[in-house]
Amino acid sequence: MTGPTDANGRKVATLRELPTSIEPARDLWPRIEAQLEEVVSDARGGAKPLRRRGEALRWLALAAMLASLAVGVWIGRSLLPGAGGETAPATAANRSTVPALAPTAFDAAYVSDPRYERQRAALVRALQERLAALPLPARTKVSASLAAIEKAKKDLEQALGHDPGNALLQELLINTYQDEMRVLSDVHEASDPGRGI
Amino acid sequence: MRIALRLTVALLLLLAGAAATASNDKTFDRQVPAQPRGVVEISNVSGSIEVSGWDRSEVSVHAELDTGVERVEVASDGGRTTIKVILPHISGHGGEARLQVKIPKDSELDVSGVSADVTTSAVLGVQRLSAVSGNITAELGGADAELKTVSGDLRLKGHGLPARLHVSTVSGEVHLEHGAGELEASTVNGTLSASLDSARGVRARTTSGDLRFEGKLTRGATLEASTVSGDLNVRASADGGYAYEVSSFGGEITDCFNASPARASKYGPGSRLEGTRGEGAGHVRLKTMSGDVKLCDRP
Repeated sequence: MTGPTDANGRKVATLRELPTSIEPARDLWPRIEAQLEEVVSDARGGAKPLRRRGEALRWLALAAMLASLAVGVWIGRSLLPGAGGETAPATAANRSTVPALAPTAFDAAYVSDPRYERQRAALVRALQERLAALPLPARTKVSASLAAIEKAKKDLEQALGHDPGNALLQELLINTYQDEMRVLSDVHEASDPGRGI
Repeated sequence: MRIALRLTVALLLLLAGAAATASNDKTFDRQVPAQPRGVVEISNVSGSIEVSGWDRSEVSVHAELDTGVERVEVASDGGRTTIKVILPHISGHGGEARLQVKIPKDSELDVSGVSADVTTSAVLGVQRLSAVSGNITAELGGADAELKTVSGDLRLKGHGLPARLHVSTVSGEVHLEHGAGELEASTVNGTLSASLDSARGVRARTTSGDLRFEGKLTRGATLEASTVSGDLNVRASADGGYAYEVSSFGGEITDCFNASPARASKYGPGSRLEGTRGEGAGHVRLKTMSGDVKLCDRP
């Protein structure tokens, strides 16, 4: 195995033995200058294609923006909780009393499990339809319970807004979220046509 | 003349028969053999389900059926007896069926109804009873029980025999007398009232409904109860006493042993009551946001 050598073919033992500068074998500038002139002349002579390319890019950007907007609207309408596409049509019987179970700022703070959020969103989406399948007296009473839960959540969140570190309020809020989930699940099961009861 | 009279009588009889068929309910009776400790499953959408235990090794079904009911199916397979009220598929509103069922007293019982009221008595095996808007009235016989409604009320009567009892309703009320053992109970806005002769463990919760507990805790037992805005009223004595912690954010705390609640925080709202009764062997924890709390260790 041979080590590095200097210009005279001697072995280099330290970095100091290497030359500090090396002159190129020929003058490189004429060729560089020629290439620069070529680019400048192309730019002068071919301004129109460049402008066309810029316009095309702008149209492409606009189309992409519109496409993104359309996808966003579609996601909003069809996938998010309470989306119009999945909600059962409101009837006189179910329109008035059912409270909106919209997620609040504290949902994000206290309930961060994605699986929980997915399940809750699915149950909330199906709630109107499931309530409509219950006998009328049951529907009225359950709607009152859901309203009680919603009020409890708001009261607790309001109190936590003034005292965010209060362990008692945090525990009661988590209990209330659990109760809400239980109620949504119970209503779902109770009106499930596949269960045959 | 005689022929006309006969025709008239025949016509009247025919009309009477048709009217009777149209207005009178059908009845259904069936007995099937069953194992003394088998499982009995009953389902009925609307009407009532009354179940009682007896000493025979057979299941007896008596049903009164409205015209909207298609039939009652009774099937027995091994240790499992199934009783189902069948409604016509195309009917939007089926009729009611009133079932009276007798089962071997040590059977495991599984009942589900929608708007049918459920009543059980003298059943000593495990009971799993559920209804949507129907009420449940059950006699507890010392075996575990799981009872659940959506909007129906639950009225339960035990005999002080320890068991695990799981009770939940969304908007119904819960009323338990002479329970024992372990109780887990919850309702959202209904009142929850429980009286236990000897409780090993109690966990009870409401959102806005009031919660009342009365009874005796066994040595080392734990009682935990919470509400958001409902009042809490606990009268619990215990062998070996208990350590208690009561917290309320906005409600008032009172007790019958002259202890004074302290402020939970120097600057914010909320009060807290802590202490020990007797040896402090058990634990009582009561929590509420805005409900009032009363704690007493005497009946």
